[in-house]
Amino acid sequence: MIHLALILASPLTPLEHAMRHVLDWFHTTIGLSWAWSIVATTVAARMLLVPLTVKQIHSMQNLQRFAPQMKEIQKKYKSDKQKQNEELMKFYRENNINPAASCLPMLLQFPIFIALYYTLRGFANEPASKHPGSLSWLHFVPSIADHTTSFWGGYILLVIYVASQMASTLFMSATADKMQRRLFMVMPLIFVFVIARFPAGLVLYWMTTNLWTVGQGLITRRLIPKTPVPELPKRSSRAAPKEQPEEPAAPAAEPERQPKQPAPPRKVRRKKRAGRR
Amino acid sequence: MSGAARIPGYLGVGLVWLYRVTLGALFPTTCKYHPSCSEYAVQALRKHGLVRGGLMAGWRLLRCNPWSHGGFDPVR
Repeated sequence: MIHLALILASPLTPLEHAMRHVLDWFHTTIGLSWAWSIVATTVAARMLLVPLTVKQIHSMQNLQRFAPQMKEIQKKYKSDKQKQNEELMKFYRENNINPAASCLPMLLQFPIFIALYYTLRGFANEPASKHPGSLSWLHFVPSIADHTTSFWGGYILLVIYVASQMASTLFMSATADKMQRRLFMVMPLIFVFVIARFPAGLVLYWMTTNLWTVGQGLITRRLIPKTPVPELPKRSSRAAPKEQPEEPAAPAAEPERQPKQPAPPRKVRRKKRAGRR
Repeated sequence: MSGAARIPGYLGVGLVWLYRVTLGALFPTTCKYHPSCSEYAVQALRKHGLVRGGLMAGWRLLRCNPWSHGGFDPVR
């Protein structure tokens, strides 16, 4: 049994060691407590992922412009989910839309999560002399290596986790299908029972990463206007008579929208920015 | 493929299911492709076995990044 555990753990040990080194650095060199080291590590990791997430938020806002057409497709193929999905994907491709969500940035968070899990388990199992310093956080969490529900402060952590998870879902999946969105909103309520058995430090990581997501969403929303709306009235007032006859040729039901022209240059600029960082 | 040759592929499918009920459920996300990455992995593993199906699933995951376009992308 022990051998099996060792075999399973061996590919994960480098991850655990790396996490331990990062935490050690924050703890020993910077002088943070272990709990704050977790927060700092999480923030550092999210900062590295900023180019990825900013791109996601941009494309999500881009997607919102096409919401009416997408709703129409959803209505048209209401009975056949499969067909509806296929048609939506086709619509994305035709209009050069890049759907917000993608699997890779999320996958990049798994190693951090798993490494932190093993590190905290190590903290719980090894003698305290191996990790000198307090494991407590802000007076209400006695030890980040203990199960979250083994002390009253853990329940506060869980409440913050649920709230922050819901808020970040609101920000990150604004365009997802309604059913799915509702499911994602309910998910933390179910998972809180699983998470309750994890070490409190993991919940701390989750809280931090969720709050970062929310903050990032708020900032990018404020900094970047949703649509190139100011361009539309300009053009229609100047060139209205010329453009009017062309309209029927364009896809019907969208007389006011012509976002295709302003959209591409914005995209190019964004790509460059992301690449430079 | 048939018989015993399918078994490794089914092991892979089992791993995808394990992912779905654990990490996949903890980090909810919507995939930009249809079928989604995990569904694609299951189909590829069933059709092409562990090695080729696994490689196909890995390549799909790499394509599922913020710079790609997503869309309808079935297992061939």
